[in-house]
Amino acid sequence: MNFLKQTLFTVAICFILQYFLPWWTLVIGAGIGGYMFGNGGGMSFLSGLLGVGLLWLAMAMLIDVQTQSILTEKVAKIFPTKTPGLLFLVTAIIGGLPGGFAAMTGAMIKKAQQG
Amino acid sequence: MKLIRVVLPAVLTLALTYALNRSWNLGDPIPPLGKFLDPFHGFWHNAESAQAGDAELSIPGLKDKVTVVYDSVRIPHVFASNDDDLYFAQGYITAVDRLWQMEFQTHAAAGRISEIIGSATLDYDRRQRRLGMIYGAENGLASMEKNPVSKAMVDAYTAGINAYIQTLSYEDLPLEYKLLDYAPEPWSNIKSALLLKYMAQTLNMSDKDLEMTNALKLFGKETIELLYPDQEQVGDPIVDRPGEWKFKTTIPDSIPLAVPTELIARKPFEKPSPDVGSNNWAVSGSKTASGSPILCSDPHLTLNLPSIWYTIHLSAPGCNTMGVSLPGSPGVIIGFNDSIAWAMTNAQRDLVDWYQIQFKDNTKSEYMSDGAWKPSRKLIETIKVKGSATVLDTVTYTHHGPVLYDETFHGESERAHYAFRWVAHDPSEEVMTFYKMNRAKSHGDYMEALNYYSSPAQNFVFASVSGDVAMRIQGKYPVRRKNEGRFVLDGTKTSTEWKAFIPNEHNVMDKNPKRGFVSSANQYPVDFTYPYYVTGSSFEAYRNRRINQVLTAASNVTVADMIRLQQDNFHSRAAESLPTFLTHLDTTSFTEQERNAYRILRGWDYFSNIESVGPSYCEAWWRALLPMIWDELDSAHVALQDPTSFTTIQLIKTQPTLSFFDLVATPEKETATDLLRMSFTKGVGVIEEWKAKNGKEPQWADYKDGYIAHLTRQDALSRHVRHGGGSAIVNAFTRTHGPSWRMVVSLDKTGVNAVGVYPGGQSGNPGSPYYANFIDPWATAKYFNMHFVTSPDQLASYKFSSTQLSPSK
Repeated sequence: MNFLKQTLFTVAICFILQYFLPWWTLVIGAGIGGYMFGNGGGMSFLSGLLGVGLLWLAMAMLIDVQTQSILTEKVAKIFPTKTPGLLFLVTAIIGGLPGGFAAMTGAMIKKAQQG
Repeated sequence: MKLIRVVLPAVLTLALTYALNRSWNLGDPIPPLGKFLDPFHGFWHNAESAQAGDAELSIPGLKDKVTVVYDSVRIPHVFASNDDDLYFAQGYITAVDRLWQMEFQTHAAAGRISEIIGSATLDYDRRQRRLGMIYGAENGLASMEKNPVSKAMVDAYTAGINAYIQTLSYEDLPLEYKLLDYAPEPWSNIKSALLLKYMAQTLNMSDKDLEMTNALKLFGKETIELLYPDQEQVGDPIVDRPGEWKFKTTIPDSIPLAVPTELIARKPFEKPSPDVGSNNWAVSGSKTASGSPILCSDPHLTLNLPSIWYTIHLSAPGCNTMGVSLPGSPGVIIGFNDSIAWAMTNAQRDLVDWYQIQFKDNTKSEYMSDGAWKPSRKLIETIKVKGSATVLDTVTYTHHGPVLYDETFHGESERAHYAFRWVAHDPSEEVMTFYKMNRAKSHGDYMEALNYYSSPAQNFVFASVSGDVAMRIQGKYPVRRKNEGRFVLDGTKTSTEWKAFIPNEHNVMDKNPKRGFVSSANQYPVDFTYPYYVTGSSFEAYRNRRINQVLTAASNVTVADMIRLQQDNFHSRAAESLPTFLTHLDTTSFTEQERNAYRILRGWDYFSNIESVGPSYCEAWWRALLPMIWDELDSAHVALQDPTSFTTIQLIKTQPTLSFFDLVATPEKETATDLLRMSFTKGVGVIEEWKAKNGKEPQWADYKDGYIAHLTRQDALSRHVRHGGGSAIVNAFTRTHGPSWRMVVSLDKTGVNAVGVYPGGQSGNPGSPYYANFIDPWATAKYFNMHFVTSPDQLASYKFSSTQLSPSK
């Protein structure tokens, strides 16, 4: 249950942070999520990865649909991704990974404090 | 232990964030992936949909309100209440659509690409610096800023661009900045000057002095005149008024030609494509159905995305003009207003000379001039290089100009230093020409506007609502002695230098000629009775005759006829050479495939249409033939230039046993007939290979494979296009060059009506639906209507969106 809560929290707080601030503020958002919900390091990592990854994927897909994939296909071809599908996946992972590690860090800080 | 469990993920998080927030170069450059892929601010943010709402922007620096209405093809119609606001708004909205391109092109002009790309472009940058591009732009800027009118115009334009740049944060940056990981710097007036010099480089830096000098030494004078005649005995000069040049000229005394003693072994720098050329013409009312003149413009350039042109309508009290602008330069460059229309083609004149310099010693601080040592000037160029140390390059300037090649730069011989004299290095006031042309009401105004124009030399066609058609070949031309400018010159004697320039009123010009039209297509400019010596890098031999033939025969000309002529695919060069070539072939020795090719070529109507296969065979044959004929030039291992297609064909026809038709590599003595046979086999082989690879017949558009590349050469941002035409054809679309702006203007008494199209789109953003949306209409001759109105309300039914710019308090 806490896993789901942390993930949803991460999606929400990262959406708000990133709406106004640079991309790397997702680390702060996911880190707070990891700290707040008391999940273990591994679970927190997964939650942060999933939370930020899903957020990025959803936002990217929304833009893609609104713009008829006009840029997705071009950029996918510039990189080794080649296909839009892979570009979505890479986008989710690139956002998700720092999110995961940040969440894990948050969880670990909490654990350390609790002794 | 606990500490490690905290520190480890924390360090990992920070390291990962850092790594994803910066660019890397792992063979290929990788943008900062976190930043770039972030859907909130990264590249995703650059994707646009076709809907766009109206906007109201408050902008510091404006004097009054400016209304910009974008029509259905996204051409901005700018309505301002004064000139300053007009050019401010032009700068602002051009930057909205084309900022990256504007900056990139001026960086390219100034030799600053390595700053963005890295050391791969260092040689290119050094060349731009050593050609004195910045030196020329600084001279141009000084005269631009001396005139209060052009200064105000350029100042306002610059302020407009900067007003836009100041609003940008990372998420708003054009895609290319995000890909290459850099940010725009403030615009400045020098950048507008650089852009104009860049155009001069594209159009007027062609010369073959070094190659001609080598050819002269290798082959002698007689062969030179045979291979590289100043004037090919062909066709229609742009202005043909024999005996009517009634002015006194001052031509300096002739001096003996001094040709250097050694061959010039260095490889000359990359030349602008020979396909850079253009067509323009104006038909007088006596030949049109409406009784009003029709003017046509069709400049041929390298076709890129974003396009070199940006269509715009500029309206303010005293000025209502529409046409295409160059992003980075204020005003309309090719276009019309309510009284006149004008357009340009390249004049091809030789405005580049090379002077051999004798330096006193290796320090190059003094050089010989008329028996005395003169001090040189050293300019240290600082070239920033992305990912490595800044490079300093010392460029030596003589009074002729900069020394391009020396032992540090493509220098094969320490003695051979050539200073580069280029007319575009001189102060000039082109911006004033366009300011005045945009407001011209009559032929007299057009003539006055052109008096400000010096470089790059252009054939300016003109037509007016009042019924005049005219042509003027305007530029700043040195008065030359015969043969001066064809070979490198002796830089130690001032007697070899340019002494005077042809006065504007002596330039080649014509008004309302009897034949009822004026036209130019980069051919030789004038009849033989013109008293000044004319030489050029090359003059066009085919397109001009086809245009003149069609226009001479035409009557009751309509806009649709003119569009058809711009799309004309008749391959004059093939029509004039192929029948002869085919008679040289021994048909009894054909293979099956050769017989088929022969049959196709015999049956071809000489139109290079999309589906034609004839032009593909013709092209493959021609490409195989040329290196066989001019193998002597390749094997000499010095800089030499191939003679023109026209001269080559004349030699095949008239001197088939000329020694150049012998293959150097074989002991036998070949003639033109042998080469035609061998190259036919080779050409057919190339086509068969193409057919096998592509699994279809070689239709011309597929074989040619037209390609419009993004300025970064990034394939994903480029477009292939199926379209007919080709080199030496009125529709001059070769694989990557051709008609960059087709415009037809009817100067009707009831109001000027114009249509146009270019192979690109108004937006420079690859993520916009308006990035390349003109390419298909361009390829299918669907020109858009240019809604030339006097107030924003008249655009109501064509409106896409509007932007209201207001001065911020």
